[in-house]
Amino acid sequence: MKILASGESVYHWVHPDDFREWVRLHKSREATDKLMTEHEAVSRFVADGDYLAYDFSSLTRGPQALVREIIRQRRRHLWICAEFTLHESALLVGAGCVDRIDVGFLGYGDYIGRAVVEGRVRVFEWTNGALAARMLAGARGLPFMPMRNLVGTDTFVRSGARVVADPFGADPVCLVPALHPDVFIVHVHQADISGNARIFGTNLFALEAAMASKKVIVSAEEIVDPLEFRKEPAKTTIPHFLVSAVVHLPFGAYPGGVPGRYELDLEQIQQLNAIETEEQVQAYLEAFVYSVRSHAELLEQKVGWGRLADMIRRGSIKEGYA
Amino acid sequence: MARFTETECMICLAARLLEDRKTVFVGWGIPQVVAMLAERLYTPNLTQVFEFGAIGPRSLTPFVRGTMGGPSNVYRSLQWTTMNWAFAYAATGYLDYGMIGALQVDPYGNVNSTLLGGSYDRPKRRFPGSGGGNEVASLCWKTIVVLKHEPRRFVEQLDFMTSPGYLTGPGAREAAGLPRGTGPYRVVTSQALFGFDDETRHMRLLGVLRGLSADQVTRGMGFAPVVAEKVEVLEPPTWEELAVLREAIDPSRMIIGRDAG
Repeated sequence: MKILASGESVYHWVHPDDFREWVRLHKSREATDKLMTEHEAVSRFVADGDYLAYDFSSLTRGPQALVREIIRQRRRHLWICAEFTLHESALLVGAGCVDRIDVGFLGYGDYIGRAVVEGRVRVFEWTNGALAARMLAGARGLPFMPMRNLVGTDTFVRSGARVVADPFGADPVCLVPALHPDVFIVHVHQADISGNARIFGTNLFALEAAMASKKVIVSAEEIVDPLEFRKEPAKTTIPHFLVSAVVHLPFGAYPGGVPGRYELDLEQIQQLNAIETEEQVQAYLEAFVYSVRSHAELLEQKVGWGRLADMIRRGSIKEGYA
Repeated sequence: MARFTETECMICLAARLLEDRKTVFVGWGIPQVVAMLAERLYTPNLTQVFEFGAIGPRSLTPFVRGTMGGPSNVYRSLQWTTMNWAFAYAATGYLDYGMIGALQVDPYGNVNSTLLGGSYDRPKRRFPGSGGGNEVASLCWKTIVVLKHEPRRFVEQLDFMTSPGYLTGPGAREAAGLPRGTGPYRVVTSQALFGFDDETRHMRLLGVLRGLSADQVTRGMGFAPVVAEKVEVLEPPTWEELAVLREAIDPSRMIIGRDAG
């Protein structure tokens, strides 16, 4: 296949056979008990230098408690997949955890923008669709995925994509390399102790990313009986043999919401939106991440039952989330 | 006449461009508000598509800035799916319109939403980047670009081309491999409406807000758009539009602003 143009950026790459080998050796087919604390899950399954992906968004069902634990354990040199990311990328960069970002959508506010301008973090251009297609290629065991867009733009030039002549037709077509994250973290509505998981509502690429990633940490609002999955199998989002660890984290998306369970904490979100300076990000991290030892401590000491109850009360839309 | 903010005017002019009984891929931010207003007043049978997999939602108000995917946002959708499938609808030609924002736009409707000034490695300011904008501008049949009316945003040369318009002119999209028959359709601000010349693919002034002249709205732009033979007069926001925006969609005025009214 003739390469017509090459994007100039580096990209995270794992050979499909090396990934298959990893799955063969490291992902258990047996439905074992993987329930553990967030501290244990992050210490065992998130390493310095890892490529990290997450689902869904900062304000909705994001794995915020797991992100805070990664910060608390001061991981370094992470490379993140910034898809639908708002506050978590700013907090991870502010905490010095991240030095490379695949974009996606790098929202928002001046803090993260300034980190890029000042060269504290390197960004590589993709699009939301290209990152999702890369994840799909990874999940299909393919080396790449063709796509019709990205071509013709500077986004392509600063990506790691290729344009080739379509071997079946003659037109140029864009190829994006498969993505195999080292670790994927996701917050779900329900999981059992072996990692079977249900998300109600939309998701970005939860199944694709869980399949394509070497290590998968699932945090769940609720731990349910394994039999629940067999009673309604069409509702299973992620089967257990993709998953490395399960953490029971009620309000695990805080300060975001979980559809059908609770609404976001608007006051806390506005505080995050307002972060512009280094002092502000460090003050936030000190107040809500470093000064507590766990998610439970955060909820008890910094948030409080009154506010959580209010989030539940405001989460009155239930249709479709069961 | 009602008093209104620039943002309100931009949203109202954009909402009048959507067509009922069609599909639209809705970008993050202002396009969400535009689609909500259009659905309530003009296009009740419009199927909205959000990139994270909500198809045909009947979004509830008020709109909370920054949210995409929250339960009021995706209320009573036709389908909840995932990102790869949402973009697949665009790639297979099911989506009639796409609507995105922009930092800068050039004469061929190419869009920058990535950075301003400096070089790529050291920009003066960095912004979110493509998000799904590149997919929307590449794959939907007709793309509508919504941006603030600041002449300095209309430039001959973009600081960065995030998403494609007609690239370098006639035939360039097809030559690059983009789907045939797609491209930018309208560029709308709070003061002006632009289309694109069928032959040259160059931006063309189609309408100006009542009380302004073609000269006034194009003054200071980095290029001279072709001016249509008959420039349409765009009516300012109506009381009805403003009432829906202010009372239902954005009562806290986080998005539409408070300078007037």
